[in-house]
Amino acid sequence: MIKLENINKTYFGAQPLHVLKGINLEVGDGELVSIMGASGSGKSTLLNILGILDNYDEGDYYLAGKLVKNLSENQAAEFRNKLIGFIFQSFNLIPFKTALENVALPLFYQGVNRKKRNTMAMEYLERFGLKDWADHYPNELSGGQKQRVSIARALVTSPKIILADEPTGALDSKTSAEVMQILRDVNASGITMVIVTHERGIANLTKKIVYLKDGVIESISENDPDKMDFTKEIK
Amino acid sequence: MFNRDFWSEIFMALRRNKLRTILTGFAISWGIFMLIILLSAGNGLKNGVTNNFSDRIKNTYTIWSSSTELPYKGHKAGRFIMLNNKDVQLIESLYQVEEVSPVLSKGGTIVFGEKSRSVEMEGVKPIYKKIDGIKILEGRFINENDMKNKMKVVVLDKDSNDELLRTTGETSLIGKTVYINDLSFTVIGVSKGMAFGEMGQCYAPYSTLKIVFNVNDFYQLSFTTKGLNTEKDNELFKTELKRKLAALHDFSPEDKRGVWIDSQMLNSLEAMRIFNTINIFIWVIGIAMLISGVVGVSNIMRITVKERTNEIGIRKALGAKPRSILLSIVMESLVITTIFGYIGMICGIGVMELVNMVLESSGNMSDSNGMSVFMNPTVDISIVISATLVLIISGVAAGFAPAWKSVKVKPIEAMNYR
Repeated sequence: MIKLENINKTYFGAQPLHVLKGINLEVGDGELVSIMGASGSGKSTLLNILGILDNYDEGDYYLAGKLVKNLSENQAAEFRNKLIGFIFQSFNLIPFKTALENVALPLFYQGVNRKKRNTMAMEYLERFGLKDWADHYPNELSGGQKQRVSIARALVTSPKIILADEPTGALDSKTSAEVMQILRDVNASGITMVIVTHERGIANLTKKIVYLKDGVIESISENDPDKMDFTKEIK
Repeated sequence: MFNRDFWSEIFMALRRNKLRTILTGFAISWGIFMLIILLSAGNGLKNGVTNNFSDRIKNTYTIWSSSTELPYKGHKAGRFIMLNNKDVQLIESLYQVEEVSPVLSKGGTIVFGEKSRSVEMEGVKPIYKKIDGIKILEGRFINENDMKNKMKVVVLDKDSNDELLRTTGETSLIGKTVYINDLSFTVIGVSKGMAFGEMGQCYAPYSTLKIVFNVNDFYQLSFTTKGLNTEKDNELFKTELKRKLAALHDFSPEDKRGVWIDSQMLNSLEAMRIFNTINIFIWVIGIAMLISGVVGVSNIMRITVKERTNEIGIRKALGAKPRSILLSIVMESLVITTIFGYIGMICGIGVMELVNMVLESSGNMSDSNGMSVFMNPTVDISIVISATLVLIISGVAAGFAPAWKSVKVKPIEAMNYR
């Protein structure tokens, strides 16, 4: 699903910052991978590159067999819309849209008609127990509810891959556990998932853990989440 | 692209940001509103004043007697120059002159039955109707026959007519006999007339007044000219006439006073010049207001786009193409400017129509001489529409630049923008 070859990325500021120093990584179909690392290790940058939200300077990135390099804005938008679902730490819901409208938005950009859009969005909200909250605005929802709305939004287009950037970062431990269970269920339905986190407890719930340090991959370890008592680990 | 969803997205964004929408809109409405008020007021002033001239023919001159300012040939300064028959002969001898009408004046009291009123009588020739733009409301003005036969006939002003008729039960004075200074006159007409407060003003044939009241000197002399078509012609004629009158009455040709010579054409040219200046002034202010409106719109659009950088980032992450973001921002500013521009236009036109209605029902704004100074304050609709269009187009342009910039930003930068 994902293939990275020698990805390099430098931020050119007052002091050039070499964030990613030759990343090589493969993520297969249906995998559940976490990327771990301290802050400043480059894990978020890596995720942004995977999501085509940011560009890279060197190397090659293949997504679903296609080279993602020097894309036009339109092509990038097409890729993001059709292949990728995003889940963010700060949810990134549009404040003046209801839960339903937020979930339906990616379908709007696919040109799906309003009625079908709303039916589909409602299905996903229902799946995450948010049917009664469909007409509420984000500021009327709890953190856990907001994150479930954004998961619904990520899934509504049936993407090939879900990219989650610290999906539990703004949530308490109980809600975090719920959200992680949802993400695991989603992965179980066959969608590839990459989660960036700095919490070991979260990483332990994934099947493959990629350790990032100072812009290079330090190690990759296989993991069996079912052996973990995650409620304890998250603490 | 421009389907129902597209528009509902735009209107939702506007509704959810009410304050911003209203502030932007107000700047636009206000700009258009004030422009219309300004232009209409300018037009009203112009219509009002030109209306005073419009019934008069242009090729007329009026000479007014006055006192001298300079001593000359043993005469002291301050001597009052009266006009008389010699002036009439002098003027009639000029080849540029067509018809002359002296204006004799005689104060008196006019009596009809029990009623009386003081009036200023003017003895004039038939041509004076055209020269002074006299409007006849009823009956007729003095004609050649009246002049030739020295008929004792009189044209009353409306105020005097109404005053004399009041409580008498009569509906018209035409053909009735009235007494002026104990002499009987037959009323032949009623003019719209220039009443001077309590004093009426009526017209009688020049020849009659001259004989009946033995008036020989007069203060005013009017005449029409031919062949004086340009400003230069008139200036030359005026200078020459002044020189001849100075010689006739023995005052210095250098004297600024002595007699006043008024050229209707020069006056109206002067008036036109003043109005053109006012017009330019109004346009300068109006354009400045439009510019400030445009600057306001572009400022607010810039802030709007900045405020929405996060949202734009999110939309891009969800697969919005640059074109759709650009279009929605540009269309938002288009919708704001169009709706509020239209509101400002309607308000401006509405207010001016209201003013117009009030003016018309109160017989226009006029001074005590019945001279209107403000009339029909309306503005050319095509000017209003083009001003609104300018504002709309610049509103769109104003929205375009920041929108273009935000579209170019990487989605992650837009999302993390604070």
